[in-house]
Amino acid sequence: MSSATPSPTHTLSRLATLTPPSNSRTWQSAPHPSLPIVATACSDRSVRVYSLTSFTLLHSITGGHKRSVRTVSWKPHTKGQSVLATGSFDSSAGIWRREESGPGLENDFTNQRRGDGDEEDEADDYQFSCILDGHESEIKCLSWSPSGQYLATCSRDKSVWIWEELEDDNFETVAVLQDHDGDVKCVGWHPEEDLLVSASYDDTVRLWREDQDDWVQVAMINGHDRTVWWAEFEASGMGKRDFRREGKELSEEQTRHVEGLERSGPRLATCSDDCTVRVWRRKAKERDDQASSNTGIPSIIRSVAIDEDWYQEAVLPQVHERAIYSVSWSRITGMIASAGSDGKIIVYKERWREGDKAEVDEAATQSSTEWVVVAELFSAHDVFEINHVSWARRADKGKRSDDEEVVLSTGDDGEVRVWTLDEGVMSH
Amino acid sequence: MEIDKDNANPTILNPSDLPSRRRESHVKRRDEGGSGLFDDLVPRCSYLSDPFDAPVSTSDPDDDAREDIDEQEIYDLISTICDPEHPLSLGSLSVVNLPDIRILQPTSPLSSISTVAVEITPTITHCSLATVIGLGVRVRLEQALPPRFRVDVRIKKGTHSTDEQVNKQLGDKERVAAALENGTLMGVLRKMLATCE
Repeated sequence: MSSATPSPTHTLSRLATLTPPSNSRTWQSAPHPSLPIVATACSDRSVRVYSLTSFTLLHSITGGHKRSVRTVSWKPHTKGQSVLATGSFDSSAGIWRREESGPGLENDFTNQRRGDGDEEDEADDYQFSCILDGHESEIKCLSWSPSGQYLATCSRDKSVWIWEELEDDNFETVAVLQDHDGDVKCVGWHPEEDLLVSASYDDTVRLWREDQDDWVQVAMINGHDRTVWWAEFEASGMGKRDFRREGKELSEEQTRHVEGLERSGPRLATCSDDCTVRVWRRKAKERDDQASSNTGIPSIIRSVAIDEDWYQEAVLPQVHERAIYSVSWSRITGMIASAGSDGKIIVYKERWREGDKAEVDEAATQSSTEWVVVAELFSAHDVFEINHVSWARRADKGKRSDDEEVVLSTGDDGEVRVWTLDEGVMSH
Repeated sequence: MEIDKDNANPTILNPSDLPSRRRESHVKRRDEGGSGLFDDLVPRCSYLSDPFDAPVSTSDPDDDAREDIDEQEIYDLISTICDPEHPLSLGSLSVVNLPDIRILQPTSPLSSISTVAVEITPTITHCSLATVIGLGVRVRLEQALPPRFRVDVRIKKGTHSTDEQVNKQLGDKERVAAALENGTLMGVLRKMLATCE
């Protein structure tokens, strides 16, 4: 089916396991937006905060939730403190704060010593700040918008809630979106616009946006056959970092492709129980080329102005054999990692399609690019399922550049494992 | 009580007619140390932790585990589950049947994941307890089998009016995990799983 399935060119090697691990299932791990730490949602009702420099446990947040903590998200752009949102099967979300002492911590990745000694001395822990009640059943996912203005939560009760923090600890519900026909499994935000994506047990992916003080569905994606477990947008400005940077002399067609992608903006990756990972792209609005000028302009005829058309750009090579629970888009290289029930971690890379094969082979798939598997790792958590996978900046002493990334995988065995991706394949 | 039952007069098989190898089970328990998904939630069946049941084989334990578990053993594990509305086992009600159990070996030499696929046959097509029965079967197998097994429990095609819906629920790991944190439901499951003599 797929025209190109070359054997992997890269190897994932285990750098560390965060210690001590949880002794029950861990669901998801969120790297901090600026500090070299990661928060992990655990089924023992706690959240564990680990250091990515020493790979050890820094804090255990307990006593807040009555059931499994399913999801965690760090608020971006906070000054002097870390703010963590937690969502639980007990149907509530919690907000936790911790003062981060010392100036210049926010962006300090270069000083590798940081965090080794200083943090141990600080007795202050994450303080419970407030609780967000409203969902009728288990919260499955939550996510802060890139500006930090909004927090989205979703639940088995089929709804997506959007909360806005008016001032410290005063959250207002700005929207309750009830269009889904089943559990909402995942919510995530576009990196540049206040555009929200949700993925569901009803097999659909939906996009939402504010229109004259009301949040409304602006697109529905009907491509997966089964539950969609995760949806994540591509980072901003990837044209300067991913495969598009590599081509020295672009053909006319390739140049057109790059320009088209610029107009579409960041793409969307989704993964599903149907064992596929898919990439979706927005059809650029023809009349106004600056997509960003859409926001804030009141329009009388809503449907025409605000509806978006998202279409499938690619189905990634099908390597998973069971449900794919998580997909993560690198903000450094544009590579995609996926993981799921079969215990594998797969890394995919996009590249220019070779020569003029595109025309010869498949007239139907006109895309100038293709995705190939660059790494395939079996049994990444031994025999256990992997619930989440995420890229994070590497921060330990062994890092080879400021841009180096690691892959974090979170499993049913209670472990969070840290992987490096290296060129070359180990012989078996 | 009798009036509430979905099926007041089910067909019942004689225990001596049920498939059996008439020997002790060699199924090994999951490793201790909390690796089991539902270890804390469901009391273990006594025979699974029977000290006399410990394998005495001197060969590589991994090889052993790989060869030990077959369809009959899966059947033995789930046929003894008690039906939630009748004081009878799922085996004697023909809700679980040996021919509807399949073990799928790893699809690649690099993989160690095997799959157990079980199709259950509800006693009547609109049985409202099909989901609970399916959940009981899934929990029993996830408890008893080594974690390298993935457990897929489905309603046998055409035997239930909402089989696709039930299958989707039973296949959803997150829903199953949340259900097992529900005290009321766990009470029902515990009763079903306790009678495994």
